[in-house]
Amino acid sequence: MMDLSQQERFDLDRLAEELGALPEAPLAMPVQQLEQPVFPALMALLRPRAVAQAKAGH
Amino acid sequence: MARPMPQGRVSGHVSGRVLATRAVAVGASVAAAYGGFLLFLQFGAADGLDSFDILRAALIFASTFWLAWGAVTAVMGLMTRPPVPPRQTGALTARSVVLVPVYNEDPVATFGRIAAMEASLRKTGMGHLFHFAILSDTRDEAIAARERLWFLRLLAETDGEGRIFYRRRDKNKGRKAGNIEDFIKRSGAAYDYAVILDADSLMEGATMVEMVRRMEAAPGLGLLQTLPVIIHARSRFGRIMQFAGTFYSPVFARGLAMMQGRTGPFWGHNAIVRMRAFAESCALPELTGKPPFGGHILSHDYVEAALLARAGWDVRVDDDLGGSYEEAPENIIDHAKRDRRWCQGNLQHSRLLLAPGLKAWSRFVFVQGILAYVAPVFWLAFLAASIAAPLFAPPIDYFPVDSWPFPVLPVSQVSKALGLAIGVVGLLFLPKILIVIDAIWRGRVAGFGGALRAVQSTLAELLLSSITAPIFLMFQTRSVLQVVRGADGGWPAQTRGDGSLGLGDAWAASHWIVTSGVVVLAAAQWFAPVLVPWLLPVALPMVIAPALIAWTSRPGPGGLFLTPTELRAAPVMDLQAAVMRRWAPEGDTRDDPPAGADAARA
Repeated sequence: MMDLSQQERFDLDRLAEELGALPEAPLAMPVQQLEQPVFPALMALLRPRAVAQAKAGH
Repeated sequence: MARPMPQGRVSGHVSGRVLATRAVAVGASVAAAYGGFLLFLQFGAADGLDSFDILRAALIFASTFWLAWGAVTAVMGLMTRPPVPPRQTGALTARSVVLVPVYNEDPVATFGRIAAMEASLRKTGMGHLFHFAILSDTRDEAIAARERLWFLRLLAETDGEGRIFYRRRDKNKGRKAGNIEDFIKRSGAAYDYAVILDADSLMEGATMVEMVRRMEAAPGLGLLQTLPVIIHARSRFGRIMQFAGTFYSPVFARGLAMMQGRTGPFWGHNAIVRMRAFAESCALPELTGKPPFGGHILSHDYVEAALLARAGWDVRVDDDLGGSYEEAPENIIDHAKRDRRWCQGNLQHSRLLLAPGLKAWSRFVFVQGILAYVAPVFWLAFLAASIAAPLFAPPIDYFPVDSWPFPVLPVSQVSKALGLAIGVVGLLFLPKILIVIDAIWRGRVAGFGGALRAVQSTLAELLLSSITAPIFLMFQTRSVLQVVRGADGGWPAQTRGDGSLGLGDAWAASHWIVTSGVVVLAAAQWFAPVLVPWLLPVALPMVIAPALIAWTSRPGPGGLFLTPTELRAAPVMDLQAAVMRRWAPEGDTRDDPPAGADAARA
């Protein structure tokens, strides 16, 4: 059985969500380009790597 | 043929006046830096020029440039003044929303400010044109539960249903910028403008109305930034920052405004944006790679200002707009925590220096932000190089001419070093001294307790900021090194309210500074004893850092550092105080619903 005070808190939370609901009026927000395409490639090139291990076998 | 700008936007033309101001500022700063470079080179070459001398001279050049830039900005602010847009009157129809992002804040204090601003807006007769949206990114469930309860109280007290909204995100993707973006994607089309605040922001209703009017009068204006004034400081440190922010900052901001033209700043809060402009220009991508240099953009405000300018919108700061307030850290440790986040954000901008299409000034602003944190590292490197230099210096040749039987003693160049030191101190102090003279001349000192009290406060601020500067230098250097090492500072919630610290807390946060100070003095004594007197002003405050941090975190006598809002509270501050008198007693009972919550349910 649910505790009454818990029930009261639950009701208040639900009420806050209902009364606080934002207006539905969507606006598009296209993501902006900030990085030059060359930059990630350059970073990948400069990233330190472990020395390649020699292949086993032949 | 030039591409026509979309409706509302302006061309990217920079006026001749702005270009001339920029040229003078950069030229003067480079000249001062070059002067410092030459003076030090002459001093260092007295006993023969070596690579350490050249390194130190280069560090002096970079550091002096930064100091000179600050001084020149202040002088510009004193000498010139951007045109003040005329105050608008008449009816308004535009709909605006006041956005209040919150993140683990005290709901009573935050919502109390909203209640005060709502009341202030109602007094203008334009309250019906403004909605409020509390955008919670709070992760602490207990605080979130209190937010919901106090939201109901806020609704009940303001009769705000349908005008005041509250929503909490499940995941705080993109942090504050992502929080605002989430709102715009869901509700942005309902509004023409958004006033973006911080949780500790407070703004007069009349100021918000005037901001909307100025946006209406300038269709090409994408963002209008106010100059927020620090209020409610109690500790010595907080009140010094409050005085400095109120007394000096308007002059620096005015100087900056003269140089930035249409590419003004966004400081993340206490500003208004044109919803359409912001939506189409400011959705931030996640940078490739991991934090601290990759991932979400931390210092999003600078980037958003740059993106608006890139898209052809004006970004402006109007320092004549009063009625804009914020709170600030009460002690050095909280300040350093906030600075750590800003440091990471500014250094992350190094990834964006070559971003496509940005205005040259926007790129320069990124460089300035980076320099603000790297310059202290240059000073520290200069000190370290100076201590180490004698170890690597070649022995002095007293008989440089074979045929000359008498020793040739090197000419002392101490006067050059003294000249350099005086120049550096001058660059630090001169702007503030000029500002106090200007304030006396214009009568602005009346708001700071009169001429005598303003002079006393300025001198005390100069003294205390000089003493605490080495502590900030150490914190900033550590922040830069952490970021360069790849350590992510995360997103710690801000500590607000009484920030008084005991000696134990101060020691725990700064014992490494004490150790560094002792090591610096010991190393100087060992390797270059002649440097010890020169290093004392830097090393001594480091050694006593815990005492300084604890002492400045406590309230002091109220005679100095008076500000206009301390002498006479602003109307919205009175409204806030009235709300808090009603709410504060209930705010302490953490688990019980506030009285108004039941009223909202009824």
